[in-house]
Amino acid sequence: MNQENLSKINSYLSFKLGDEEFAAHVGKVLNILELTKITEVPKAPIYMKGVINLRGTVLPVIDTRIKFGMSPTVYTTNTCIIVLDIDVDGESIYVGALVDAVHAVLEIDKNNILPPPSIGSKYKSEFIEGVANIDDKFIMILNMDAVFSTDEITNLKDKTEETEKTTNIEEIGS
Amino acid sequence: MDNFKKKFIEEATDLIEGLEKSLLVLEENPEDLPLIQQVFRVMHTLKGNSGMFGFDMIDSFTHEMETVYDLIRNGKLKATREILDVTLAAVDHLKVLLNEDNYSDPEVISNHKELLAKVALLIQIDSTSEKDAQADLKVEVNKDNEEKGENTYYIFFEPINEIFDNGTNPLYLIDEIHDLGQVEVFAHLNKVPSLSELNPEFCYTYWEVIIATNASINDISDVFIFVEDDSTIEIQEIADFNLLTDEIFVNDIKKLASIQNDIGLSSVQNLTKEAKSRRVKDKIKTFNKDRSTSKESSISSIRVSADKLDILMNLVSELVTTQARLSLFAEENNIPGLLPIAENVQKLSRQLRDTAFSIVLIPIENMLTRFQRLVRDLSNELGKEVVFITEGAETELDKTIIESLADPLMHILRNSLDHGIEDSDVRLAKGKPKQGRISLKAYYSGANVMIQISDDGAGIDPVMITEKAIAKGIISPDRKLTKRDILELVFLPGFSTARQVTDLSGRGVGMDVVKRKISDIRGEVEIESEFGHGTTITIKLPLTLSIIDGLLVKVEDTHFIIPLLVVDKIYAIEHEKIKKTFNNVVVLDGKQIPFFYIREEFDLNESQEKFEQVIVVNFEEKSVGLIVDHVIGEYQAVLKPLGKHYKNQDMISGATILGDGTVALVVDTNKIIKLFSKHEVFTIKEEEKPEKIIND
Repeated sequence: MNQENLSKINSYLSFKLGDEEFAAHVGKVLNILELTKITEVPKAPIYMKGVINLRGTVLPVIDTRIKFGMSPTVYTTNTCIIVLDIDVDGESIYVGALVDAVHAVLEIDKNNILPPPSIGSKYKSEFIEGVANIDDKFIMILNMDAVFSTDEITNLKDKTEETEKTTNIEEIGS
Repeated sequence: MDNFKKKFIEEATDLIEGLEKSLLVLEENPEDLPLIQQVFRVMHTLKGNSGMFGFDMIDSFTHEMETVYDLIRNGKLKATREILDVTLAAVDHLKVLLNEDNYSDPEVISNHKELLAKVALLIQIDSTSEKDAQADLKVEVNKDNEEKGENTYYIFFEPINEIFDNGTNPLYLIDEIHDLGQVEVFAHLNKVPSLSELNPEFCYTYWEVIIATNASINDISDVFIFVEDDSTIEIQEIADFNLLTDEIFVNDIKKLASIQNDIGLSSVQNLTKEAKSRRVKDKIKTFNKDRSTSKESSISSIRVSADKLDILMNLVSELVTTQARLSLFAEENNIPGLLPIAENVQKLSRQLRDTAFSIVLIPIENMLTRFQRLVRDLSNELGKEVVFITEGAETELDKTIIESLADPLMHILRNSLDHGIEDSDVRLAKGKPKQGRISLKAYYSGANVMIQISDDGAGIDPVMITEKAIAKGIISPDRKLTKRDILELVFLPGFSTARQVTDLSGRGVGMDVVKRKISDIRGEVEIESEFGHGTTITIKLPLTLSIIDGLLVKVEDTHFIIPLLVVDKIYAIEHEKIKKTFNNVVVLDGKQIPFFYIREEFDLNESQEKFEQVIVVNFEEKSVGLIVDHVIGEYQAVLKPLGKHYKNQDMISGATILGDGTVALVVDTNKIIKLFSKHEVFTIKEEEKPEKIIND
């Protein structure tokens, strides 16, 4: 399927980091893997968890939680690696993203996706494609290319502490 | 059609490349006839092929060039420098012409005309001799044709006794036969009776004629058309070539004729048979001779597209990976008979790997022609006398490495020619030989190939470099630099030492680009220079890029591969001993060896094991120990890139997948030791100490 057809599909894979739910367009997702042994590469940045064997090729794995300014991932039975096909300067690169849990594939109509709030957002807006309201829960739809491209290895969140607070509030609210 | 065209272009490129090489050799030995022949042949082939595929400009052009070399090979012209200059320019032009897009380019067209005019001039230089040559050629051609279509016939002609009655003179007939070709006539008089019985009006003589002619058997019998009814005439083809050129045959037949009354067809045929066998032998001999002379130029090889080779290499890599899994499986599951099979597969895949590798390895000779040309043209242009010496042209490298190596080497050579080698009078004044000398030496060194380019030119003036670096703000004036550091400055971006920008070098893109390009193929560049005496640039390259023999080791729970070629020895060492050492030096086999404790370097906890392993590796001709937890064994590692996300981890040159599906990291020991030693208190060698400080 080419990029154009892919973008017409309204399916998103939702996953969890801590208690927050995010989603990525299925066109970007190649695979969901169970956690396997990750070979650590010495002297690499902390969010670079290491490499795994993806059917004969070497796949770098990124700890999404660290990248998003959270504490490092604690491995549980739900921990997954989402294999993403990201676009870096026109070149397609495969990257594994470590997430706490994979939730569901959601059909989200384009009309239900709201633009990211420009003011008061706790995330840098260039990483967010939009926000969808599903069953009174807000799901952040992420721009995977921006989040995982090599040059943009910066913390997603501007202020870590504040986020945790807001997360708690949300929880109470829902 | 496009496919054919592509093939033509591919072949033509090869031909032109070969042509260039021959021309450069020809320049050294202008009298070398086989070489001239070769040049002529290439021109001829190019002409033929290009005409066929519609490359008209190449066709017309090579036609002219062919004429020139035809004159040379016939000794009508001398392969002078002037002609070679034009020819080399022509070769460049041909390369341009191979791209059809260039046909409409006005510059190309004007260049084309200019060169054609030059070539025409060459031919005219000796136009009279040219005519002679053409005349000669025609004669030769005629001769050739005659020889080609000739057959040999045997004619037996016995006229009836009363032949004179109808006014026929048989001698006229024999004369007529003479006109048809080369003949050997035997007149037999044995039937002439004694004088008393002789009828003077009778013809008693009969003839046997051996004729070599390209006339047909009908033409011969036509001669006898008026007498054939009442004479005995026999015409037989005895050979499909000129038998009369065979001296032995002619002598034998003459002998026979003198002994016997007549020779007879059967004895002629016998002699023919002998002659034929002699001829075949001769042919084989000359054929062999031809073969042996042309052997050097024709290496038995086939053309394979690079894509196919890449696929082959990938498949071999997959196979090696799968084989590792098989070996592991065989070891873990004790199935009778499986282990020998797994071992056999291992052996075979190793051989297959080596063979596949040798296919993609090509000798650096392939790019040397280009350099020879560069040195020749450039030294002419600069008015410098330079000899270019190459050594180790047979050294082989991965084709991808060779491809990316050409440009940097070209640049280095340009620098040597332009800035290195001085003008002749300056050289003489300095007491150096008039001719400058640039050498390119390639050799194997462990897991690497070294390419060394040295010149005996002016060398690099450290004072000037330092001044310039300060002027450009690259270094601060109060920095104390070692000689080596100063030389390293030339590799920094924006550093070009050419006093004036020439066409050749000093365009601002300097040695920094060279360095970058070489590090792209995992190579390293070093520069040494003696001011006033010359400069040597050494490039160190990995032998191959895809599969290596490695030593599989384990640290904590990570597997690492150390390239086997750098591994010298492995020792077991007590953990206590390591802890107690001062200055990170252990004594092994009576030698002091500095070491690195990998766990510490990689920020891991101390090992709880009692024994650890010291792997002694070669590092810049010194021994350095690396301490790991366990040594697992030899392993064929298929190198896979770590990807862009790990581009800064260059001490890991790649990863490989182990039999159990986990990933092992391939260590670049040179980089790792360099990295470690940067933040170590001790230095490996005293003299390198100041450098360490500056490097940081």
